[in-house]
Amino acid sequence: MKALTNANPRDLKQAVTLAQEARANGKQAMIAGGGSDLLGMVKDRIVTPDVLIHLRAIKGVDQVTTTSGSVNIGGQITLDTLSRHPLIRRDYAVLAEAAESVATPQIRNAGTLAGNVCQRPWCWYYRNGFPCFKAGGNTCFSFNGENQFHAIFGGGPSFIVHPSDTAPALVALNAKFKIAGPKGDRTVSAADFFILPKQNAARENALGDDEVLAAIELPAARPGTRSNYHKVLDREAWTHAVVSAAVVLEMDKDVCRSARVVLGGVAPIPWRVPNAERLLTGQRITPDLAAKAAEIAVAGATPLAKNAYKVPLTREIVQRTLLGLATRA
Amino acid sequence: MSKPKNKKPISRRQFIEGTGAALVAATAVPALHAQTPATKAAAPATSHSTIRLTVNGAPHSIEVDDRWTLAEVLRDHLGLTGTKIGCDRGECGACTVHIDGKPMYSCSQLAVWMDGRSIQTVEGLLQNGKLDPLQQSFMDHDAPQCGFCTSGQLMSAMAVLTANPHPTREQVRAGMTGNICRCSNYNRYVDATLAAAAGTGAPKIVMIDNAAGEDVKPLKTLGRSTTRIDARQRVTGKATYTSDVSVPGMLYARVLRSPHPHARIRKIDASKALAMPGVKAVITHENCAFVWGAGSVAGGRQYVEEVKKITKQRRYAFNNPVRFVGEPVAAVAAIDRHTAEEALQHITVDYEILPFVLEPEESLKPGAVQIWPEGNLSLDVRNEAKPITERRGNIEEGFRNSAMVFEDRYTTTFVHNAQMEPRASLAVWEGDKLTMYTPTGGIANCRTDMARDLGIPLDKVRVVCQYMGGNFGNKNQNQDADLIAATLAKQAGAPVRLELSRKEDFIGMHGRWPTVQYYKVGVSNDGTLQALQLRGYSGMGPYRKNSGAIGGVELYQVPNLEALVHPVYTNKTTSANFRGPEFPQGYFGIESMMDDIAYKLGMDPVDFVVKNMTRKANDETPFTNYTLEECIRRGATAFEWKKRWRAKPGSDAGPVKRGSGFAFLAFRAGLGRSSAVLDVDANGRYRVHVGVTDVGGGAKTTMGLIAAEALGVPLSQVEVVWGDTSRCPYSVGESGSRTTIMTGHAVVEAARDIKRQIADKGLPKGSDLLTATADTNPTVPGGRARDSYGAHFVEVEVDTAVGHVRVLKYLAVHDSGRIMNPLSASGQIKGAATMGIGMALHEELLYDPRSGHALTAGYYGHRVLTHMDAPEIEVMFIESDDGLGPFGAKSIGEAGKLPAVAAVANAIFNATGRRMKDLPIRRDKLVGASA
Repeated sequence: MKALTNANPRDLKQAVTLAQEARANGKQAMIAGGGSDLLGMVKDRIVTPDVLIHLRAIKGVDQVTTTSGSVNIGGQITLDTLSRHPLIRRDYAVLAEAAESVATPQIRNAGTLAGNVCQRPWCWYYRNGFPCFKAGGNTCFSFNGENQFHAIFGGGPSFIVHPSDTAPALVALNAKFKIAGPKGDRTVSAADFFILPKQNAARENALGDDEVLAAIELPAARPGTRSNYHKVLDREAWTHAVVSAAVVLEMDKDVCRSARVVLGGVAPIPWRVPNAERLLTGQRITPDLAAKAAEIAVAGATPLAKNAYKVPLTREIVQRTLLGLATRA
Repeated sequence: MSKPKNKKPISRRQFIEGTGAALVAATAVPALHAQTPATKAAAPATSHSTIRLTVNGAPHSIEVDDRWTLAEVLRDHLGLTGTKIGCDRGECGACTVHIDGKPMYSCSQLAVWMDGRSIQTVEGLLQNGKLDPLQQSFMDHDAPQCGFCTSGQLMSAMAVLTANPHPTREQVRAGMTGNICRCSNYNRYVDATLAAAAGTGAPKIVMIDNAAGEDVKPLKTLGRSTTRIDARQRVTGKATYTSDVSVPGMLYARVLRSPHPHARIRKIDASKALAMPGVKAVITHENCAFVWGAGSVAGGRQYVEEVKKITKQRRYAFNNPVRFVGEPVAAVAAIDRHTAEEALQHITVDYEILPFVLEPEESLKPGAVQIWPEGNLSLDVRNEAKPITERRGNIEEGFRNSAMVFEDRYTTTFVHNAQMEPRASLAVWEGDKLTMYTPTGGIANCRTDMARDLGIPLDKVRVVCQYMGGNFGNKNQNQDADLIAATLAKQAGAPVRLELSRKEDFIGMHGRWPTVQYYKVGVSNDGTLQALQLRGYSGMGPYRKNSGAIGGVELYQVPNLEALVHPVYTNKTTSANFRGPEFPQGYFGIESMMDDIAYKLGMDPVDFVVKNMTRKANDETPFTNYTLEECIRRGATAFEWKKRWRAKPGSDAGPVKRGSGFAFLAFRAGLGRSSAVLDVDANGRYRVHVGVTDVGGGAKTTMGLIAAEALGVPLSQVEVVWGDTSRCPYSVGESGSRTTIMTGHAVVEAARDIKRQIADKGLPKGSDLLTATADTNPTVPGGRARDSYGAHFVEVEVDTAVGHVRVLKYLAVHDSGRIMNPLSASGQIKGAATMGIGMALHEELLYDPRSGHALTAGYYGHRVLTHMDAPEIEVMFIESDDGLGPFGAKSIGEAGKLPAVAAVANAIFNATGRRMKDLPIRRDKLVGASA
């Protein structure tokens, strides 16, 4: 590991200032949440920060608070705490389940929600030090290489899949992303937070220089809402999603009033499927309808040489998740 | 390239004649070590912080380098080496500690972040010297095999029980799933945790049955489940593995490795690295020219004098050209590991990039780059480029006489041993005497290797290995790491510890050879085999450390046989021994093939096998005893084969389908040379000296048990001395499942001798000792063959819509002769079978075809099975005693791995009706798979 300096900010504002100062001094600063993922990259010299800004040193930015119905989740809440939080489990099950599906107990005890959302891709080319788009290069090695786990939607010029489990859940919950930065705080919608490679192939989200994901805001839970995160792994534990589905349904008895269906593991961002959502809205979710919605969800997929299996897999997962939720009492 | 005050370079490597390969355009490849080399050769300024933390209840104030991890500080600065580093990337769990009561990976936390936190390590579980009940339960259940993951398993299990004193089995598995056990003794870790919660004791092993017609007389000590003699060390963090050994003045080493799969080194400039403060020595192929004899001897034979003289393909500690990504190019010794690693950034290497080839069949095609001047078909010890050939009868006539002929192609991938302990090597010179602390399954072999490779007398080398964290075949002899550490230590004039990262261990050390297998099989109408042909290709990497054979054709009796297996050079990392070196991949091929034929003939695969399986070794040599049919028949009954097996494969309605498969094994259990020394003092206390290190199978305890049995005394009266060539005689290395048989036999002979001496002279007086030395090399009488036998039965459920496989039931039936310690023996089978499931379903060291880089090096990428993946493995022993070996013991350590892959694959066929011909049988191959 390259020599580095740890900085413990008092608050998020100071974290931003520390990042700005480092930049002004010609140094690279990086934000550390739980650090599990970042330290691995630092050890492998995938990234070589001079300064680590340790957000877990800040008190009080890991709380779940409720104001006028909406729920604010501090970005530094650990995945373990999040997954066990009674309010989250009750009203935002998809998020609790997504958090619980991440990696291992040890990583969930250290890892944070903001860190999970902002983690860099786990593409094996990027993680093995290939000079790809994500490393500042101008190639995606997976396109003509080993792409079993790569994107079937939204790819190009990079074909990574977004690695986060909580991200699809947050998009499905229509969360807002609260950002602290040099120009003050700003809030970004779920639709705008994650960005496709064609917008910026080196990044996965809208965080600008020296900006920090501070918190997540969830809208008030609507009555009749049911949600579920369904993750397919490549062994029974501790892999990123091969495919996942985060589904939130607002049900009125057996009629779906509104639906949000977001796929993980298939695209460089959490992949919302609005056409499927529209099909479900106002309908009773029968096996036939679920199958149709699943079919629509994978329409337009453009698999690479080795990941065509993800298309039927995704279809099946969407169908099962919809039916599972619809038939849940 | 040593500093001026150091001695001259030890020797200079001869220039190797080129292969005439043309220059190719450089393609973008990742740097293995550096992304952003600094411009000037000075260690970057380091930041330090003072932290206050509590460790196991005691307050500490420590000044730390900001980049130090908690694991580093615990181990290096607080001496708490019970916390292990298996991957240093949060992928294995060996470093798990509690931080403010919660389990976390201490490798993935910076120490500077621990200011004000409270840490508990494995050392903190002991209260006033008393074991926690969980530790006791781990011991009672024989949960630790190699023990390297044990501290982490304990900390996770403790966290589970603290949160929930009465967890379910599923909750325990989920809570511990961040802890990999490559010995794969998951069942026992979970059993032990549940038993600790319930306050129940050790498991009852009730699965031993005498083979029909054999009389296995009960003994006093052997055959009873016994806690290992070193179990307490393993559950308290006190077991000393190589990287736990520190000596004063010790330097740390790091290795620079090739980022190219094939390249000639034009020039290496290490001057900037050498100029860095704290750097003590740099070695490269230019100033370290030792041949690593064990690294590449065609056919896997010893690098003995006659071989040395004639061999054309030598592997050096540093080679030029480099022939695989990860091959050592230079090594640095410095005052600490970070300085050593930093120094690697300042070595510049000018490579002439050469074409490369990764796949064995490609490698033999005309026009493929020649990795060696002699060609890509590996030379054997006589420098002959020939396939490994086995023939009997007349193969063409056999096919002509067959009613039906079947042909198919099966492939297996490179899978890695992935033992939990990454390679480490500590070299200490005192004058001209070298002491190596190194994880090796054979201290005697390692010592011989080191003396030979370094060109120093045998009596100047001592090898010490008190505990080692798994082997599975890739730590049998000396390693290039040992030669590098020894050379650096000599040059720097100080002890040197070389630690390999997990990635280096994957890409630099050998795993199982990948194969391509073409079968052609002729059968008569009644299902009798008439002809069997195998054409196989094994990818050896650029050096041939083992035979490259493909095992399995010997399982069948067939009058006409032709097997031609081509061990082929490729530019992947070397492949060699991995638990049953040539068998799991070969068994997958042939037992899938035979299973397939059985269905095509409308036969139950069990009946087809019983009809055609071998009854004599190579169809001619009688076995010392034969219980294979017994294993299969009793296994089929116990498994309820007829009930679980689908006569029509894939016939379950719907996408979720069940089915069962089986495969069998016959594995060498030959006799051979080893030795032991036994002494007794005036108080009748015995010490048995054996050159074992215990790779995880329990060899120390087994040797103690054998001595106790042979002496007629309780185990408590026998002390075992192991793991140090200065205290132990030659013993056969812990490879080939030979230790119990061969070293055990020597122990029996030494015990006989000492009993005679006591009978003659009585016990010694005062401080005198009576000593008996046995150096035995028994042979099987009558030229018979000696094998272990077994059969595995598996039921799976395949969700074909999502490509998911679940193992519902797994029964492993084994005859490994007399079972010495049922507790450990069944753990060996459980672990081996679980590993086999991993190889069948998930594992692969995948190489990028365009760059020759491994993409899946590490526990995450390689998909080593976790607690959540590991099913319950039921073990049944059919005991027999053929009157040979120590009390009838046969081989066991590898046997459980052999049929596991094939059994799982055959079960998947039975469930889905789709024959899976390429490993691993991952989800991508199974989605939509139904007949």
